[in-house]
Amino acid sequence: MKNRQNQNRDMLQKGVVFAIIIIFIMAIGFHEIAASLTSRIFNVDVRRGSIAEVRFMMVFFGLYAFLTGWSNSGEEGSPAKKILHGLIVSVIAGLIVVLFDLILLFLTRNEIDIRAYLTAFSIESMNYFLFNKNQFGLLYHFGFFTVFGFAGCALKVLLNSASAQNIKERISNFFKNTLNKINGAMPPFLPKYGKYILLLLVIAAAIILPRTWGSYINFVVGLVGLYVIAGIGLNIIVGLSGQLVLGYAAFFAMGAYSVALLNAPEPHNIMLGFWPSIIIAIFMAILAGLLLGIPLMGLRGDYLAIVTLGFGEIIRILLKSDLLVDLTGGPRGINDIHGPTLFGRPFSSDIDFVYIIFACIALTIFVYNRLQNSRTGRAWLSIKEDAIAAQATGVNLRRYKLLALCIGAAFAGLVGGISAARNQFTGPNDHSLLVSMNVLSLVIVGGVNSIPGIILGAFALKGLPEILREVQTYRQLAFGILLIVMMIMRPKGLWPASRPEYEQYEDSNASVKNPRREKK
Amino acid sequence: MTDLIIETNEVSKTFGGLTAVNSVDLEIERGAIYAIIGPNGAGKTTLFNCISGFYTPEEGEILFHGNPIQGFTTDFISSQGISRTYQNIRLFHNLTAIENIMVGQHARLETAWWDAVFSTSRFKKENVKSKEDAFYWLDFVGLKGYGDYLASNLPYGMQRRLELARALASNPELILLDEPTAGMNPQETDEMMAFIRSIREKLEKSIILIEHDMRVVMGISDKISVLDYGRKIAEGSPKDIQANERVIEAYLGPGGAALAKKYQDRKRKNINA
Repeated sequence: MKNRQNQNRDMLQKGVVFAIIIIFIMAIGFHEIAASLTSRIFNVDVRRGSIAEVRFMMVFFGLYAFLTGWSNSGEEGSPAKKILHGLIVSVIAGLIVVLFDLILLFLTRNEIDIRAYLTAFSIESMNYFLFNKNQFGLLYHFGFFTVFGFAGCALKVLLNSASAQNIKERISNFFKNTLNKINGAMPPFLPKYGKYILLLLVIAAAIILPRTWGSYINFVVGLVGLYVIAGIGLNIIVGLSGQLVLGYAAFFAMGAYSVALLNAPEPHNIMLGFWPSIIIAIFMAILAGLLLGIPLMGLRGDYLAIVTLGFGEIIRILLKSDLLVDLTGGPRGINDIHGPTLFGRPFSSDIDFVYIIFACIALTIFVYNRLQNSRTGRAWLSIKEDAIAAQATGVNLRRYKLLALCIGAAFAGLVGGISAARNQFTGPNDHSLLVSMNVLSLVIVGGVNSIPGIILGAFALKGLPEILREVQTYRQLAFGILLIVMMIMRPKGLWPASRPEYEQYEDSNASVKNPRREKK
Repeated sequence: MTDLIIETNEVSKTFGGLTAVNSVDLEIERGAIYAIIGPNGAGKTTLFNCISGFYTPEEGEILFHGNPIQGFTTDFISSQGISRTYQNIRLFHNLTAIENIMVGQHARLETAWWDAVFSTSRFKKENVKSKEDAFYWLDFVGLKGYGDYLASNLPYGMQRRLELARALASNPELILLDEPTAGMNPQETDEMMAFIRSIREKLEKSIILIEHDMRVVMGISDKISVLDYGRKIAEGSPKDIQANERVIEAYLGPGGAALAKKYQDRKRKNINA
């Protein structure tokens, strides 16, 4: 008896929660974004700034109701009981939403405008939530919840039933077997040269693909690429050698201003050309790394973070101040930076920059990979793990920390230089604290010390906001939610790093087997 | 004159008003297993820290092969051929066992970062050698098959041995062991004792160890020094130390020393009777 009471309360609770979520979604106006995102999923163009058609709102609502049923099917009892459980929750949620709809109807009927208090409660938005159907909207809502909720829990119960499990197993076995067969039938040269063939394919794709993309996508890809280089550079400092540097943008600024001052008609009109100046940019960034690093070597952790944060801000404020107006153009920045040329021809279209950036990514990954598993890389990692023990083991702390800082700074200088030439502009605000934070968070979100992780992180942090530009107002909100969810689901990053395996076991019958591999 | 590997001349180290090590003289011969014992807070680990360069002693000098080494950084001292383990294990926890040992080789290897980037022949040669060596040490400490485990995932006893392997990997002449059998069960302790002996016999290293387990100390060391309140109160063979009244007093207090004497007398009488 008591159990049943508990169950009833549980159902009521869940119904209320799911209803409140959808009401909240409406209250912040997220349903409009959700609808236009749904329309994008189904690959239908929506005009920018307008609300998507009502049917996409219906699809979104249907999906939500389906989710309600799916996640609330009962946990015990016969299948019918489980489905009933989910259905009841959906109906409760539906009823509460209908109550809310009545309020909305009352507001729209009397044309009461409470937008001053709740921005999303415009008449249009409320009508949109009701599928532009007025009083029938609430019937729709109730119907959606009942039908799709039922469908959701029924599908889940069906999939979890014993026979379905059996079928699933058979399907996965079938795929496994065919995969094994394909692997067995593979010509023997493939595993040996597979790496090179894959590399060729990637290079071919990197050359051909940018030509098929539009200029907007090329712009976004270029931006993401720049952040990938920056991420790998910062990862050498933070991920490998364990120094939390928050002023990374200062190194960008060194690179960007080197290229800008040497390649713009104002303020100096030196016009050295892009290629020599990018080399100078890299060396300027290294110099900055050295100058910053030498006094910093004694600091660790929080203290290091605060000092480098200050360093980043000092560089930005210096560039902004009137003090250096003649030298760096002051707060206006430097305009009209000339792009690179190749064999006397301009090489500065969107596509060309994507090529340059791809080449730099390849270089960066190459250098990083070579370093990571060398004596140097291990020394860095040991410093990160336990600096005191590392030093007592023979690692020269000062030298290796400085080396990491300089190599990381070199990559930042490269990124700064390229982005200055690409935007044909650089100013103090391009190198704000936010840039440093972005690079740091993409490394952490993606996965520290993992190249695929950093690439994923750069896409998630710089690519997604660009793609989400359509839903401008709620971009940051959606993005924030995404970040929180990501860090809860995958606290070690999207693609966590793993340590290399050295032990080889030629003889599969050896008495000792690789335990790590066995555990998997 | 005997062949001394390390000697300390009146080494003192103070923290504020507390004198942790008070003009301690040690003379340790090459190839010896030398134990330093004493009650808690006697300054044993501080003395270790002075030798391995964590602290700079205020007074006195530490001579390694007759050259003063006090005041240098720990990485320099390590490169001279002194390596150590810690009372509370200090492995690099997120590196694999084999990588821990490879970090231990650091001072012995020579390739710089540009060798790694351009993958020079020097780098390749050294890489193969260092991997081979690392597996040798892994095998030596009996961790074969555990090379790809993360250090933090190894059981406690194995972590201790891995730390030893890391210390050995730098090919030192002198190894400082800070409580190598702390927290081990009797069987593991026996293994560790046999292992410490084998380091001396097979590899011909000199060893200084701090230890609380008297069975270990009396079992393997050639010579023992006893510290109390930063001062060396006794030095000698295990037998001498066992009979030394000042040592017993340091451990058990004056009353305790009397009791111990009584107990020993009675025991002797019983044996004689």
